[in-house]
Amino acid sequence: MFRTCDITGFKVDLTSERLIRLNAVMAVVALLLAIVGAILLVFTRYQPVHLLDAEWYYRIVTFHGLNALIFWIVFFEIAGLYFGSTVVLNQRFTYPAFGWVSFILMVAGLVMVNVMVLAGQADVMMTSYVPLKAHPLYYLGVILFAVGALIGVILFFSNVITAKRTKKVGETLPLFTYGLVAAAIIAVITLSTGAVIYIPTFLWSLGLIEHMDPAVYKLVWWGLGHSSQQINVAAMVSIWYLVVFLALGGTSINERVSRTAFVLYILFICLASAHHLLTDPATSSAWKVWNTSYAMYLAVLASLIHAFAVPSSIESAQRRWGFNKGLFDWLAKGPWGNPAFSSTVLAIIGFGFIGGTTGVIFGMEQTNIIVHNTLAIPGHFKGTVVIGTTLTFMGITYYLIPLIFRRKIVAYRLAQIQPWLFFAGIALLSVSMIALGQMGVPRRHWDSTFSGGPFSFAFNPAVDFFFTLMMLGGTLAFLAALIWVLQVVVSVFFGPKVKGPSDMQVPISKLAPEGKPVKGYEAPGTLLLTMLFLVTFAVLFFINWKWLAAAWWVE
Amino acid sequence: MSLIAPSDGWFSKRTAKDERIWILIAFVLCVFLFIWMIMWHVVGKQNPSNTTYKTTTEEFGRLHDAYVQKHMVGMDNGIPVVKPEPNSDVILMGQMWRWSPVLILQQDEWYNLHISSTDIVHGFSLQPSNMNFQIYPEYDYVLRFKPTASGEYKILCNEYCGIGHHIMIGKIVVVQDDSELSQYGYDPNTFEKTRATAGSADEDISGWSEAQLVEAGETAFNIKGCNACHKTDGTSEIGPALNGLFGSTVTVTEDGARKDVVADDAYIALSISDPQRQVKVGFEEIAMASLELSDNEMKQMIAYIKSIK
Repeated sequence: MFRTCDITGFKVDLTSERLIRLNAVMAVVALLLAIVGAILLVFTRYQPVHLLDAEWYYRIVTFHGLNALIFWIVFFEIAGLYFGSTVVLNQRFTYPAFGWVSFILMVAGLVMVNVMVLAGQADVMMTSYVPLKAHPLYYLGVILFAVGALIGVILFFSNVITAKRTKKVGETLPLFTYGLVAAAIIAVITLSTGAVIYIPTFLWSLGLIEHMDPAVYKLVWWGLGHSSQQINVAAMVSIWYLVVFLALGGTSINERVSRTAFVLYILFICLASAHHLLTDPATSSAWKVWNTSYAMYLAVLASLIHAFAVPSSIESAQRRWGFNKGLFDWLAKGPWGNPAFSSTVLAIIGFGFIGGTTGVIFGMEQTNIIVHNTLAIPGHFKGTVVIGTTLTFMGITYYLIPLIFRRKIVAYRLAQIQPWLFFAGIALLSVSMIALGQMGVPRRHWDSTFSGGPFSFAFNPAVDFFFTLMMLGGTLAFLAALIWVLQVVVSVFFGPKVKGPSDMQVPISKLAPEGKPVKGYEAPGTLLLTMLFLVTFAVLFFINWKWLAAAWWVE
Repeated sequence: MSLIAPSDGWFSKRTAKDERIWILIAFVLCVFLFIWMIMWHVVGKQNPSNTTYKTTTEEFGRLHDAYVQKHMVGMDNGIPVVKPEPNSDVILMGQMWRWSPVLILQQDEWYNLHISSTDIVHGFSLQPSNMNFQIYPEYDYVLRFKPTASGEYKILCNEYCGIGHHIMIGKIVVVQDDSELSQYGYDPNTFEKTRATAGSADEDISGWSEAQLVEAGETAFNIKGCNACHKTDGTSEIGPALNGLFGSTVTVTEDGARKDVVADDAYIALSISDPQRQVKVGFEEIAMASLELSDNEMKQMIAYIKSIK
């Protein structure tokens, strides 16, 4: 059963639409759980309040990690995969029964894991490093969720292949779906690795396996833990290209380059699990250097290519729309009133300048010594997964509400400022956590005053300042995320129905006009911005190596 | 277009000039970063070690106890202190929830630290130098350190290891020469005496006085790390406080039933060797690991616990 969208002209399979809606709703539920956890954690780490007791602090760290990094993101990605493989290809949803199986397994997994964690049966952190042991139902919950997600990914492939076979796509997939294929391939690798580690751990928790090697566990677990974040990167970049198309009618200056970058992700990005073992025993330096550099940084090269290709697709479209004055007129005259556009631009800036720079620097074999397991690490991935992925997902939702849920966005003015608030909050939170980590403050640590210990340690007094900034940033980000959740829920369930193109609050642009062939620079503004990024990176790079060089000698 | 295929195809289009420039710069950057890491092994002074030995938690625990008994020169807040020779092999144990022993090191000398855990994964975080390493059970991680500045350093644990994670904090003191030791509250004159009295696992102790037993018991109590959870000042944050325990009546749970027992020699011995048999009411959440003691150590330990008023 199809309906033809009166706004975009795409044929929308109703089953697919229902599954997209349900997965997206579960994503929002998970995000709500995650941010409630987050605010409790922020006010526990902020020592003057020190809200939770030790037991509940660690419990909520576990709860927050799983809901934010796994449930919110994977549910949203499954919705995105269904969208990218059916709606935008005019394709029906193949094997809808399995879509339901996938959904039910994932929901069961989410419920099981959260119940076990909140019941105090799994105070093991998201990473659950053995020999820390949780209740078997906790591991089973994770397995059910992963199996459900894997089925969703397979359905994505099934939809895409059917669309190809029935000639619904021409020579090639559209760039957005192409990027999602990369994400889906990485997802298969990731989720299979997850099975390899969670199934024996589950059996071990039941007592059927005697012994789990802690180093092997950690090595394999990060094949899931880190690679799953690379699914986010690929999905997020795909959405950036989608937003440029929807908001400006533009695309990458040269799609061949963007597509090649996605292939580089598939080939090399999964090596990144080595980032988590740089200061560990058991693996050699050669292994660490090769893997942590994703084979000579070829996956970083891919990100750097996108770092130029996405902004330049905005610049090139804007120039063709006539904003051709000077270097940055195209940026100043961007459609800033469109929350999907502002989310995307802010996500690119945050992901690049905060998450990307620190990711490469902290992920180098030696510099990892000065940040491993400090607050700088969650600070870094607030800069990737939250400012990057989460803000991007929030932004694209402003298109999904009218197009998929067929509802108008309630209080649209609020949606226009929400991305800015969220960006400011997370940027503050992330940067202050990175600063705290570089002063040695550990992550996942209940009491930075070490009360009750045989000794005490006083950090650099500047930590008080940064803890305060972290608290302020966390509070702002919490409120901004809460605004988004409420707005989505109210719009989806109570918003006025969308009756036609005139009800579309977030504009969909026509295709940007064909430009004159350019001889020289096609995107000089973007080139200047990427140079600015390079300088920022170089400064942070040398500061970190300087700090490392001041440490004790170790070999 | 990201939703529709480009009209003129995408494969044959030439790359723009600025895009080519950027990709070239990016590629050079990537190669530079890769070479930098390798070069740091040649010119840099901070590189994670490549030396690891397989061990077991029991073996490493025994290594630690033996090492500390042999080299102990004092006690610092209930944690044994060792002053290793430069270039020697040093045992540093991470355990829920302490780092043992406390180390006194000489500035600008090398030490081979063998670090491992006897229970779960821990994080070695040396502050304020801010150097962080992952510590596993079953793997002896050998890190060769050379302290480059004198001062008092702390070892935090920065990998979650249970409810007492935040109290797991150890200490390393770095001095230029022994005259500085008094600044850190150590008296080098007592070092030899302490070294001589520690360790009596195999001796015949039947003729020892109660005072001797108590003294040796306190040492064993600290080496085994009992004091990480069991305080003697009446506070019971993790495990029950031990002062005034002997002779008192304790309410315990055994096989699901509550009962009152008198804390006598047998009760103390049972609580050490099989701590989950009779669990004191109010302390069910955190399970104590059973402790294997020699007969001598058990006798000394009981004498010490009896003596804590």
